Amino acid sequence: MINPYLLFGLLVVGAVGVVMALPRRGTNPQVLGAAVAGLAGGLLMLFLGLKAGPDKIPNLFFYVFAAVGLGGALRVITHPRPVYAALYFIMTVLASAGLFLLLSAEFMAFALIIVYAGAILITYLFVIMLATQAPEEGQEDVLADYDTRANEPVAATVIGFVLLAALTVMLFRGTSALPAPAKANPDLLLADMPRKVDRLLETNGVMGPKDVIDRTDWNAGVVEFTTAAGAKMVLERSVGKGGTLSEVAADGTRKVVRENAWPEDLRVTNAELLGFNLLRDHPGTIEIAGVILLMAMLGAVVLSRKQVQIDEDAKKARVTQLAQADPSFDPGSESPIELVQQPASSLEEAAR
Amino acid sequence: MTHHLTMLETLTSLAVAAGEGHAGGAGAMREAPQWVLAIALLPFAAFLLNGVCAALKVRNQFPAWLTIGTLATSFGLTLYLFLNYFTGADRAPMHVHGFEWIHFQWGATEAQTFISNFAFYIDGLTCLWILFVTGLATLIALYSSEYMNHDVGLGYCRFFAAFSLFVFSMLVLVMADNLLLMFLGWEGVGLCSYLLIGYFYKKPAAVAAAKKAFIINRIGDLGLLMAIFSAYGIFGTVEYSKIFAMVAANADGAGNLLSVNTWAGIVLPLLLTAGAFGKSAQLFFYVWLPDAMEGPTPVSALIHAATMVTAGVFLIARLYPVYTIDPALTILTLVAWCGAITAFWAATIEMAIFDIKRVMGYSTISQLGFMFAGLGLLSPTGAAFHTFTHAFFKATLFLGVGAVMHGFGGQLDLRRLSGVAWMRGFGLVGIAMLIGSINLSGVPFTAGFFSKDMILAQGFTTPSTMIGGAQIVAWILLITAGMTAYYTFRTFFRVYTGPKEFNPGDDAELLDLGRHPKGTNLEQWHKEHGHGHGHGHGHDHSHDHGHAHDHGAGSVADRRLQTRIDFDPTTEEFDPHPPGWAMKAAILACMLCSILAAGLYFMKTAGPGAEHGGWVGSMIHPSSAHFASPEFGKTATHMGQPHEPAAFFGQDAHKLMYYVSAGVGLIGILIAAFLHGPKGWQGLFIGNRVIAEKSRADGLINLFGPITKVARNKWYVDEIYDAIIVKPLHVLSHIFHLIDQYIVDGIVNLCGAIPRWIGKALRPTQSGEIHGYAIGMAGGVAVLLVLVFVLTS
Amino acid sequence: MNMTTLTTGFVPTLAQAGFPEVMSQVTLGHYLVVAAIMFVLGMIGFLTRRNLIIMFLCTELMFQAAGIALIAFGRYHLDFSGQTFVIFVLTVAAAEAAMALALIVLLYRRKESLNAEEWKDLQG
Repeated sequence: MINPYLLFGLLVVGAVGVVMALPRRGTNPQVLGAAVAGLAGGLLMLFLGLKAGPDKIPNLFFYVFAAVGLGGALRVITHPRPVYAALYFIMTVLASAGLFLLLSAEFMAFALIIVYAGAILITYLFVIMLATQAPEEGQEDVLADYDTRANEPVAATVIGFVLLAALTVMLFRGTSALPAPAKANPDLLLADMPRKVDRLLETNGVMGPKDVIDRTDWNAGVVEFTTAAGAKMVLERSVGKGGTLSEVAADGTRKVVRENAWPEDLRVTNAELLGFNLLRDHPGTIEIAGVILLMAMLGAVVLSRKQVQIDEDAKKARVTQLAQADPSFDPGSESPIELVQQPASSLEEAAR
Repeated sequence: MTHHLTMLETLTSLAVAAGEGHAGGAGAMREAPQWVLAIALLPFAAFLLNGVCAALKVRNQFPAWLTIGTLATSFGLTLYLFLNYFTGADRAPMHVHGFEWIHFQWGATEAQTFISNFAFYIDGLTCLWILFVTGLATLIALYSSEYMNHDVGLGYCRFFAAFSLFVFSMLVLVMADNLLLMFLGWEGVGLCSYLLIGYFYKKPAAVAAAKKAFIINRIGDLGLLMAIFSAYGIFGTVEYSKIFAMVAANADGAGNLLSVNTWAGIVLPLLLTAGAFGKSAQLFFYVWLPDAMEGPTPVSALIHAATMVTAGVFLIARLYPVYTIDPALTILTLVAWCGAITAFWAATIEMAIFDIKRVMGYSTISQLGFMFAGLGLLSPTGAAFHTFTHAFFKATLFLGVGAVMHGFGGQLDLRRLSGVAWMRGFGLVGIAMLIGSINLSGVPFTAGFFSKDMILAQGFTTPSTMIGGAQIVAWILLITAGMTAYYTFRTFFRVYTGPKEFNPGDDAELLDLGRHPKGTNLEQWHKEHGHGHGHGHGHDHSHDHGHAHDHGAGSVADRRLQTRIDFDPTTEEFDPHPPGWAMKAAILACMLCSILAAGLYFMKTAGPGAEHGGWVGSMIHPSSAHFASPEFGKTATHMGQPHEPAAFFGQDAHKLMYYVSAGVGLIGILIAAFLHGPKGWQGLFIGNRVIAEKSRADGLINLFGPITKVARNKWYVDEIYDAIIVKPLHVLSHIFHLIDQYIVDGIVNLCGAIPRWIGKALRPTQSGEIHGYAIGMAGGVAVLLVLVFVLTS
Repeated sequence: MNMTTLTTGFVPTLAQAGFPEVMSQVTLGHYLVVAAIMFVLGMIGFLTRRNLIIMFLCTELMFQAAGIALIAFGRYHLDFSGQTFVIFVLTVAAAEAAMALALIVLLYRRKESLNAEEWKDLQG
């Protein structure tokens, strides 16, 4: 799908950009790095779509969401402040949700936003706040050393991009060899949902409340029913026109009663398909997932309730810090440090 | 074809002749009554009951009386057997079947079977042996009941259990009807010998001696075992009666001519001889027997003098037909020479050493040499007679020595004892020692005189064409007889005659028995110190009986150990305690037997062979020991007793030998009296010894120079063994140790070291930094993917 | 409603009501490339950042990338198991976040620092 040498070149450029963007002391060309990396990514996407032709590439929203998501991801790993990193992560999550929408996974898209952006990331923010010291009054907020300096940026990036090169080359090779999927008729599932069919036909005025369905054929899209008055009716889905409702006479002749009678909602939605897949095909896995969540909750509760002795080194550092801030501070008289910190109750919420 | 026919005819005629001529051969067998089994099984029952006593922790003399009772019953049955079945004219071997012991069958034919039943084969030879085995065992058990008194309790049970088991094994050995059952008894006596030598198992010397005896016996036993295999290979059976029948027919299991079979004629008897020499301490196997004197003295008397060591003699006598398969009698010649050399060799050592118990030990070796020489010189009757008389007089001597040890705190050095016979309570011991000594010396008209004379005379009359150098062997034996007289009376004159003088032995220095302050009224002192009972206690090596502690605090042993005080001769006196009634009775009985045994030589009985060797001759003549193969029968029509009187300096050897051997013995005694005898009549007026320590013989030590020293050190045989066997083995083991240490261990250590080196090299990577691990992992995944990519593209 | 234009053309329609049409391999490749890049970015972040919280954010990023790839594959194969797996990934991510964050708080209380290298004496 793309010339490998071009791919590798772009990857090298992207790697250089990422290295530049990673936080470090002194001159820190983060913006330039991000631009270079973004350029490389954009070019990659461009070259990827160029040969394929417009009818095969994804639609425009894909590029928008991909750009936003990858840009956010880059900022997550390069921003020195954890709070900002978390917020950028939310951006990535939102963009991913957009991609999910494009992939006709509406349920997952919204679940992602609710669970990730709504719950997990908020927990992250809580923890970040809990685990970061508020600057003393009149003191400038200083970033911690470990936030301002990346660890082995070049080695990590090289490894990462070698991995990326291998991954992309192989997935290009792999996707072009993938078999074309067989298209199954999802409407067959309607047979398992008779009440939905009744409700939709009634609310759309096709069927009366007392009418009885005699036969359905979801492959062909045929519903036969008898009205309360005793007339035999046939609803047939026809391509393009939405279907016709006909009355069948005793001799078998049909008389069209109504055009465009097939209700637009009378089909299986993606959410319903997912539901069937989840609950009918993987019921045991759901149980396991539930157990995992329960265990995680218990674990979090136990861990966060644990009383911890503060480390000796940390205590000393704190004392010197306090002594510097306040010259009248006497480290011998009374220790202002709580030697044993109480568990944070908010952590229990995090577990939930 | 013609040749074969002739051979077959000869064979058949000879077999018939042999069958007629020798009842012990393929002749008719008598069925013995079933109670004969009880002779052997009663001691076994005693062994089991003694085990029960040990389990019940019996703390009295019951085990001793149990053993004495069963052994006496056994002896009574033996006597009954003898009187009923071996006094008449019919002396055919008896057979009694106990139970089926081993029976393998892997085919239809008779050759494809292996049968070894628990069955007895009793002929005159067996009867002779079981008579003195059970009789002596009873007497010595009686003696031990007093002698082992210090160890009443578990040790007592252990002693009598092993004692009974020994008697059982010995009886099985001599009564067995096949080689394999005999081997069971053979190994059984070896085991019991080991157990009893190592009776004082806390004493390193005793343990070492037991080990030595066991290991050296194993070498001989290997020979015997191989002999049994060979016998089965040749004859296809291990049953005596069948083997004898085949030898009589001069045909092996497959019907081939036996006398030309080198394996049957040379190798099989050679292997048997190896077994016999091991058990009987002959030649270079002898080293274990002197050390075996570490065991309790009754054990030495019974096992290492009278019975077990004669098992080798018995073995050869029992399988005498096999020895005569070879027409040249090669192995018998070898036996004669080895016996004579051993007799002489041991006698030289005896003349030099001072330990009276070891003197008796070497004397046993020497006398066993006489017996083997007798067998080799074609006088099985003489050998059996000498075994019989030796059993009694040597037991008498040992029991006398035991009484001395018992009385003087384990003192065994003849330079530290004198005039023992004149001490209160030791009179009987003195008389017994005198009787034993004159027997051993061959003083005329004693049993030992006649039995030894029989062998000597036979040696001078056996033609050299049959036994090469028979006359030389006889000369060696004659000289040895003189030496025997000398060393026997050396001990007698120094220890039992002369001025009363003694030093208590090591045991007395460690224990307080018999000790009291100088000048005390003994009666009074014993009453005050409660030691009066101590007289009844033996303490042969008894200082080392910590093992007896299990019979509770307050035992005699404990009290002795608690009151352990150094003996100081300047302030204390030692009070020798004479033997009690049980020991005296046993000594007396043995003494009387050795006197009476002389009469057997003249006893005329109904059986054949009595004209030569009297009663013993009549016992041996119809037995396997007197039965020869047809090839041999052609050359020696009446083996052992040539009819034409052989010349010895122009005289009839048999008659002359009485005077010659008597003279040699008396000369030996006179020399001993001159060199070691005390002043006055006790030294027969030619001795001049006045103290225990010094005698005229001391002056001779310089005369002989280093020979004395070499002889006193047992010709350094142990040292030579050490140098040629033990040391090389040590070197070999060191080499293997080095191989193990550096090569085997090295490989093992290398296997351990390689992961350690790898771990050392990789340790820095385990820094604990999570990023290091993460980079490693991601890098690994990347490398793997790239590899997959490269390999698949 | 024309399904074809929804998935392949430049028609700016968001929701795809109704059962989707077959997706082209090229389109799948695009999504997978995005997922791969996002995954690698998350990994680089995990390798380079020292802040424990950011490291865990990076693992979430990798989860996200995996989710995109799963859903893209599910879409291509018209198999909803892909989405089901994402639900489980989400579950695990939530559980992991709960545990990890509780641990981080615990560790922070001990050392008063979020630096991962502070804990190298654990030799884990």
